[in-house]
Amino acid sequence: MSDTLLSQPLSRRRFLQATGVLAGSASVGALPSLFTLAPVRNARASAEAAAGPETVVTKSFCHQCPARCGIDVYTTNGRVHAVYGTLDNPLSNGKLCPKGHYAQYLLYDPDRIKGPMKRTNPKKGRHEDPKFVPISWDEALDIVAGRLNALREKGESHRFATLTGRGWGYTDVGLLKEFGELYGTPNYNLGHSSMCSDASETVKHFMDGHHAYSAYDYPNCNYLLVFGAGFLEAFRPFNANMQNWGKMRTKAPKTKVTVVDVHLNTTGSAADRLLLVKPGRDGALALAMAHVILTEGLWDRNFVGDFTDGVNRFKTGAEIAAVYSQEDVDAWKQAQAEAAAKKAAAAEKAAAKKAEEKAKAQAEIDALKQKLKAAPDDAALAKKLADLEKKQADAAASEAKIKEQRALLDKEKKPAPQPVVGAQVFNEKWTVGLIEWWNVELKDRTPEWAEKVSGISAKEIIAVAREFATTKPAVALFERGASAHTNGVYNGMAIHALNALTGNMFAKGGLRGYQMKTAWAKLPIKHEDYMDDYAKSPERKKPRIDMVKTEKWPLAKNMMQEIAINHLAGAPYKLDTAMIYMTGAVFSGPDCTKWEDAWREVFVIDTSPYPGETHKFADLILPDNTYLERLQIADTYPYEGYPISMIRTPAVKPIYDTKTFGDVVIEIGKRIKGPMSEYYKQVGNTENIIKWMCEGFKDKPGDNGVVDFETFKQKGVWYRKPYAYLQKDGVFYKWDGQGYNTVMTEEEVKVEVMPTPTGKFELKVTELEHHADYVQKRFGIPPERAPFPQWIEPKHGGDGDLHFISPKLAGQAEGRSSNLPHVTAMIQPVQGGKHDVFLEIHPEAAAKRGIQDGDRVRISNKIGAIEVRARVTQTTRPDTVVLPMIHGHWAQGRWAEAKDRLPTGSTNEITENLSEPLSGLACYHSGLVNVHKV
Amino acid sequence: MPKWGMVIDLEKCVGCQACTVACGMENNRLPGEHWQDVIFFTEGEYPNTQTKWFPRPCMHCENPSCVAVCPTRATYKTEEGFVLVDWNRCIGCKYCMIACPYGVRFYTEEKAAYGGPNMKEVFPADDSHSWNPPWKMPDAREDWKHGVGVQPHDVVSKCTFCHHRVTKAPPGTADLDPQDPKTREFTPACVVTCAPGARFFGDLSNPDSQVNKLIANKNGVRLLDHLGNKPQVYYLTGEGGSVPSGRALKKS
Repeated sequence: MSDTLLSQPLSRRRFLQATGVLAGSASVGALPSLFTLAPVRNARASAEAAAGPETVVTKSFCHQCPARCGIDVYTTNGRVHAVYGTLDNPLSNGKLCPKGHYAQYLLYDPDRIKGPMKRTNPKKGRHEDPKFVPISWDEALDIVAGRLNALREKGESHRFATLTGRGWGYTDVGLLKEFGELYGTPNYNLGHSSMCSDASETVKHFMDGHHAYSAYDYPNCNYLLVFGAGFLEAFRPFNANMQNWGKMRTKAPKTKVTVVDVHLNTTGSAADRLLLVKPGRDGALALAMAHVILTEGLWDRNFVGDFTDGVNRFKTGAEIAAVYSQEDVDAWKQAQAEAAAKKAAAAEKAAAKKAEEKAKAQAEIDALKQKLKAAPDDAALAKKLADLEKKQADAAASEAKIKEQRALLDKEKKPAPQPVVGAQVFNEKWTVGLIEWWNVELKDRTPEWAEKVSGISAKEIIAVAREFATTKPAVALFERGASAHTNGVYNGMAIHALNALTGNMFAKGGLRGYQMKTAWAKLPIKHEDYMDDYAKSPERKKPRIDMVKTEKWPLAKNMMQEIAINHLAGAPYKLDTAMIYMTGAVFSGPDCTKWEDAWREVFVIDTSPYPGETHKFADLILPDNTYLERLQIADTYPYEGYPISMIRTPAVKPIYDTKTFGDVVIEIGKRIKGPMSEYYKQVGNTENIIKWMCEGFKDKPGDNGVVDFETFKQKGVWYRKPYAYLQKDGVFYKWDGQGYNTVMTEEEVKVEVMPTPTGKFELKVTELEHHADYVQKRFGIPPERAPFPQWIEPKHGGDGDLHFISPKLAGQAEGRSSNLPHVTAMIQPVQGGKHDVFLEIHPEAAAKRGIQDGDRVRISNKIGAIEVRARVTQTTRPDTVVLPMIHGHWAQGRWAEAKDRLPTGSTNEITENLSEPLSGLACYHSGLVNVHKV
Repeated sequence: MPKWGMVIDLEKCVGCQACTVACGMENNRLPGEHWQDVIFFTEGEYPNTQTKWFPRPCMHCENPSCVAVCPTRATYKTEEGFVLVDWNRCIGCKYCMIACPYGVRFYTEEKAAYGGPNMKEVFPADDSHSWNPPWKMPDAREDWKHGVGVQPHDVVSKCTFCHHRVTKAPPGTADLDPQDPKTREFTPACVVTCAPGARFFGDLSNPDSQVNKLIANKNGVRLLDHLGNKPQVYYLTGEGGSVPSGRALKKS
């Protein structure tokens, strides 16, 4: 169809518009002539109309949170226009959370970086223009290699660090360990997890042996107890949580939900019960619930075990001896004797009564017999006698039968368990340390005590404990609301213990288990074969810049929040060069402005495709492809336990001169002098790695028919159900191909299901016993108390008189939507945040400070200050203010940086850098602030 | 002739707004142009506050106020139950926006509320489209007569029940189930994406359709029913539907 005057219906409206008569039309100035009407469709579109549109659907997985939901990407003539959840994908099942639909906005973000660049303005600052100039990839990679080779020559290769955030797996962050070992730096993958949710992984590691997030069986769960997790906003996997919510709330029986949080979010609103706890006090609630479960005899005896004599000795305040003493045995014998005596007395009484009845009946019969002798023809008398005699005979027969049955029962009766001096008072089955825990901590943690600490009434605590323990199956879960505090791990231990006490560990409908691994094939090449003497030298064994696994943080996995301040202090040393991937602590790290000082001193390489805060401080930009342009694989976020892996296939060729991060690492590797470059030349690129790994599918095909690289790309996902293990009524079973039929031995359970040092669920944590000195140093707890879930008074960072919480919302989980106005427009729906995000403040707190709804306020403490608009609301505690951790960017693009939007800065400008000592988790939710009207 | 209708189960809806975002994506909406929106409101006092929400598409009323007032007959009701806007006829008088009791309509020249530069100016069109987003739907799908696609300047737009998808369904289809590969591509975007499975779309004139069964079995009610517009969107309220609440203090 040609673009003539008559090719489109010419409405009166558009006619007027074209002639410039209508107000608001695009053209100004002189009236154009009738014959210069702008065509309705532009040139590109008419080519499409002629050819006929061809829509291609490619597979990928979402990038907006770690859940990795499978997506179908719709591209027509090279233009990506839609993303929906993949239908035959066990995570997305055809659905998505709101974030899944941002993909095309991120691909076509007008502020995206268009190619590698180098900084020409040596000054670095928030308001300094870096004056980047575009360079070629060759030049960019040579700059990096030049620096890395120079460091190596000086023996200072440890001063090169790679900081990582949302890594996906083998073909991005998974490449870094080899790189680090070949190159010679311990700082090869400084992860963000300490600024994420490390405490929950640490708790699980301590108690059930898995340093990981748990897999849950929500569709079969009948009671869900949530501590400090946005189950319907950000807890992962969010999309699956919502799918399961629909099932849980409409199945028979309906899953009952109790939520513990510090303000009314959608999760709390949708629940059946909300406990608005004082921040950092979740552990007190859990301890009191455990106390109730034990004192009321509600624990699961199949899983936990029982008192040898079946008598519940859990009484508030009373210590329990571990073993029976002579007194215990004497008391038991006495009790038995008394019971026997009572029984004998009762039996005697009953026998006497019976004898009396028998005698009476016999007397009646005898009397009748006499009467009959006197009148032998009386039929009525004869009949009466016959009836009575029959009755007597029946009674005798019945008595004999009962005696016989009783004898049989007595024969089969097991003797009552008899306490023996020195024997265990409590036979613990799959837990270890219960009695000790009770004695050391739990015996005094009553609901009344918890009420004082947490602000939740004892009545409610008792009710929830009873509901949780008597509704099977049940799940108790927690995340940062409970754990991003200085007492976060001990809080988490108390909460996680609830699952063990009620026998829901590894159970159907309970905390189902942990993620099984995918059968990837190994690479045909080993990087160890390419390590030169420099790499192998013991000189390379230096501490990491984040001081993980040193005396300072012996149990932490990562300590990203420490990197800037360690560098600034030169302890353990100063960094020279840092490469940043998918993370931006200069905005998202606690006390974030410290990073600005650190980055001024370091050669910073940013790989983000967007001009974020790190970008402003970077010396070199090596922009990544966005995920719709990438080929990439990953393993699933813990979901239901059975192994799942997924693949991204590019929907379009890169629209700019960008390169996938994994390939950049390989390219850098090729330029490092020595055998390392030979290794990377052999590897080639990430596509090779993926192809090699997919060979593993041949022997372990996916349930959906995926057997190789090609079928993997077609389907987007590989998985094999079911999860291999099941705990039922205190017995562990393994899947045998047909069912959970193989009973597992204790040893097998230890190796495959609960790999703790004891092979049991540790209520007394062995690893904490080993680190009791560290615990004493950091918490001031005597060593003998260290291993137990317990109440620790939280320390609060910052200063001020209000608790400050910065949660996530359904529209953003990790930092990738701040430059998307589609997201801004729906981000904080409960408070009406469509342009700014508002600070939730209770009317009492507001009135005290002369603050009215909509007022601009200043949130400040010793760390810093930001300004924001107040939303006076009934949804938060009077002592707690809430500001989602989403906006306040000063970079990231034209919408993120818009001056007319509030808040004026990151929530991290008022968050003290305080960490939970065991996991290293940054205590984002522990801080205190002041709020003043501006 | 089908009479297309929607059912939304409020017992399952979690207020995530995936429906709002999916609609915006499928229909090339501007930020904030929430043809499908989720309305939140708060009731009560701390610590017994309650936050509630419900998704609000266009109701595609049997008796639409908007059609009654449109001076150019740009807005109209089809035989299959859709209420649509013809962008070739619409003169942007906004009478329909005043008349609609549900507030489902949007005007192109409204001031951008999201802060920062106006997206229309960042992605301008060089023809009479009001803007030209790089993620625009395939051109062949655009359909101004039925209010589908990127609209021109100075017109009103609203939810079309994904007319461009639904009308491709084979005649006689009782329900559009996004979990059924045969009907998924015809199902409205908001229904496709809803993770808890709170949304349903089907033929209200078919007594065997699932939408009708849901309305009957689970207490389906219509919003502002006393106004007489007879919406074709029904809400399942489960046990909570029988008593209307007047306690709402503030609408977001």
